[in-house]
Amino acid sequence: MTSWLSRIFSVARFVRSGNASPSARRPSPLSRVGRQGVAFLAIAVSSARAEDTFFAKRVTPILEQKCVVCHGAEKQKGKLRLDSFAHLMRGGEGGPAVTAGDPKGSELFVRVTLHPEDEDFMPADSKPPLTPDEVKVLELWIAAGASEVIALAAIKGAPALAAPKAAVLPLAPDWRARAPQIAQLEKALGIRLVPRSMVATDGLVLRTASSPGRCDDTTLAKLAPVADLIVEAELARTKITDAGLAVVGTFVNLRVLDLTRTAVTSTGLNDLLALKNLETLNLTATAVDDSGVAALRQMASIKQTWVFETKAGGADNPTAAAKK
Amino acid sequence: MNPHSSDHPLCSDHGGEHPTVLDLPHVPLGLKREWLDLETRRHFLGQGVKALGWAGLATLLGRSAPNLLANSPIPGAPAFLPHYAPKAKRAIYLFMAGSPSQFETWDYKPALADLFDKDLPESVRGGQTLTGMTASQTRFPIAPSIYKFARHGKAGRFISELFPYTAKVSDELCVIKSLHTDAINHEPAILQLTTGNMFPGRPSIGSWLSYGLGAMNEELPTFVVMTSKMPHRTNVQALSNRLWSSGFLSPEHAAVALRSGSDPVLYLNNPKGVESDVRRAMIDGVNDLNRQLFERVGDPEINARISQYEMAFRMQTSVPELTDFSNEPQSTWDLYGPKAKEPGTFAYNCLMARRLAERGVRFTQIFLRSWDQHSNLPKNIKLMAEDSDQPTYALVTDLKRRGLLDDTVVIWGGEFGRTVYSQGTLTPTNYGRDHHPRCFSMWMAGGGVKPGMSYGETDDFSYNIVKDPMHIRDLHATILHLFGLDHSKLSFKFQGLDQKLTGVLPSKVINDLLA
Ligand code: HEC
Repeated sequence: MTSWLSRIFSVARFVRSGNASPSARRPSPLSRVGRQGVAFLAIAVSSARAEDTFFAKRVTPILEQKCVVCHGAEKQKGKLRLDSFAHLMRGGEGGPAVTAGDPKGSELFVRVTLHPEDEDFMPADSKPPLTPDEVKVLELWIAAGASEVIALAAIKGAPALAAPKAAVLPLAPDWRARAPQIAQLEKALGIRLVPRSMVATDGLVLRTASSPGRCDDTTLAKLAPVADLIVEAELARTKITDAGLAVVGTFVNLRVLDLTRTAVTSTGLNDLLALKNLETLNLTATAVDDSGVAALRQMASIKQTWVFETKAGGADNPTAAAKK
Repeated sequence: MNPHSSDHPLCSDHGGEHPTVLDLPHVPLGLKREWLDLETRRHFLGQGVKALGWAGLATLLGRSAPNLLANSPIPGAPAFLPHYAPKAKRAIYLFMAGSPSQFETWDYKPALADLFDKDLPESVRGGQTLTGMTASQTRFPIAPSIYKFARHGKAGRFISELFPYTAKVSDELCVIKSLHTDAINHEPAILQLTTGNMFPGRPSIGSWLSYGLGAMNEELPTFVVMTSKMPHRTNVQALSNRLWSSGFLSPEHAAVALRSGSDPVLYLNNPKGVESDVRRAMIDGVNDLNRQLFERVGDPEINARISQYEMAFRMQTSVPELTDFSNEPQSTWDLYGPKAKEPGTFAYNCLMARRLAERGVRFTQIFLRSWDQHSNLPKNIKLMAEDSDQPTYALVTDLKRRGLLDDTVVIWGGEFGRTVYSQGTLTPTNYGRDHHPRCFSMWMAGGGVKPGMSYGETDDFSYNIVKDPMHIRDLHATILHLFGLDHSKLSFKFQGLDQKLTGVLPSKVINDLLA
């Protein structure tokens, strides 16, 4: 089967398995990752010999992150590669990219310090520019002789490395494994279960805005197979009651809950105390009062509650209360 | 070449027997692939429809198809998922057409008071091209704001006395004083703000959001536009649907314009004597014919047409409920003021915008025209402010107390700024101001924007930007970012280009504005 045919059949499979369409139309994120992976490998190989050099530790990561997409094995814009020391020194169309000891006379340095709107500014195409710290690192390195082997400690005054970004916390299990179930539930119940983002562990939004009148306590009860995937529940104007909140109390990863204009009362709110991640709760125009809301506001995770058009009060604002 | 003939010669699964596009020399591989994809899709549309069924098509065609294909498992599937979890689910854009002067509103320039009627230094103007309206003036006399400013809110922001109500929500606002644009006349400038391009034919911001993210409520349009009654009329800007068109995107992404009065959507009511089931049967029949046509010619526009029939039918029930304000509590009328009961006023439209937001409409754009004060500015800007100040405040406050402001971004502003010098005669009580694209002020609130913040600075004459310039493209990139979309990736292939709201020139998300 040639490639287009297999592509179509994979689309077909995708649909039948009930997956949402988007990724079928986008270049697969995987292929992008793959490409970056290749670039990364190339660098890893070239610097493996000299683990603790300034070049390997400080310069390479910058070039790899911000330049190698266009100046690497895959693309060589301006005939320049920046994925190894040798390539860098060879330079591009305009000759050597770096003049040792002279940052201002080095094309590589000049390009990253131009005005961002300048045609010659690098990275091109409004890709994320270097931070002032990164520019400083390049400057110090070139000024110190642009050496491949100079030790990390030999160049003083380089800005500290930013703390590595905390890994993205999964908010819910990966929904893709349950795509067929999700599709079935959507169809059967007239609700939507929408991924919050391309990150498959960002969870789902339970969305009822198209026909809130169709969503009631029995609808919620049928969502048990995906209960742990729901991170946001938009239940405003639905027919749910306190009985439904008992089910909502099993949405263990729920963070945002909108109950505006539903028939819930303070009694039902007790079931929400089990939700250890609940941050935002909208109770506008419901029958709740302080007896139910007070306990919720004590929850460690709660950041915002709204009680406009209810009998409940708030500390600094009679209609809305923000904890922080 | 006929893509529907069964012995299609370029069928790409015969690549081994015929030379294919892949064999062409000097053609970049990416282009070849794209061409093949296109060919494949056409071929597929011609032949494969019945085999795969509608669901497959729906996926291939993006959002336009699934919406209407009753048996699709993916109703309203959007073209994209947010690239990252969004802060904003909806936006309400209060478009102050004609362009309110920054001097009397948000960009406080106290030093100008001492420079009344002095000539603007030539060095400030820097040889800028002026409009035909002031180019022939022999003098450029400085006109300080006739309106006073006072500090408001915890942030102590200076706000003009024209906005006593909006001043009360100062701490919710993020005021940007350093916007700049490329156009010096209204039509291109409004187009650039609404569509990212001075030339007509591009999709509006709301259309991009509809295309990128799909609908939250299938019963209502994703993108709604309203124009407001004006408190006075001078130099009124023409508005037309090219400001809210879907451009090259499928027509279902265009805005539905809500009109004031008893017929908010034209021709939505059934003619006398036609019952709803009759109308349903008629639409089913027409859709059936359209589907047959689609099977034959595979033009996505046909699906868009079907979807519009379906949307219109659904709006027959959703719109009367939407426009029935009778269940609004007294607190609403207290907040928005009495004018909110009069359809078509700015106040009414603001209340409608809140109702649309509650129902999950993604993008609502309200136009209020006649801010174009070339002359009689003191008198006329006051009329405009009096008409819009309370409803604007009301909208922000109402969204906040209902818990909607956190995920609804409100945007307020015109299409460019105005000049520091008077257009026409300057007197202590009267002056006018010409167009000025080099700097202007807007504000945003909610939806993940940093509250209480001011961004950017202009020089003492609010003529040039001295700190943190923000182009319209940056505004667009930032708005898309709030919705979880990467502006450089939200694209649509048209005329051989990956078209984007922010175009091809440099544009960036202004991270400082993000909460
Ligand atoms: C989006 C693609 C892209 C990225 C990312 C990019 N460049 Fe470039 N670069 C180009 C293009 C295209 C040219 C050729 C046109 C030109 O000379 O401006 C170029 C040329 C250059 C040149 C001149 C080469 C020569 O000899 O003519 C230098 C130096 C350079 N880039 C440095 C960098 C650095 C350093 C980075 C990372 C901070 C970077 N570039 C990131 C696209 C890119």
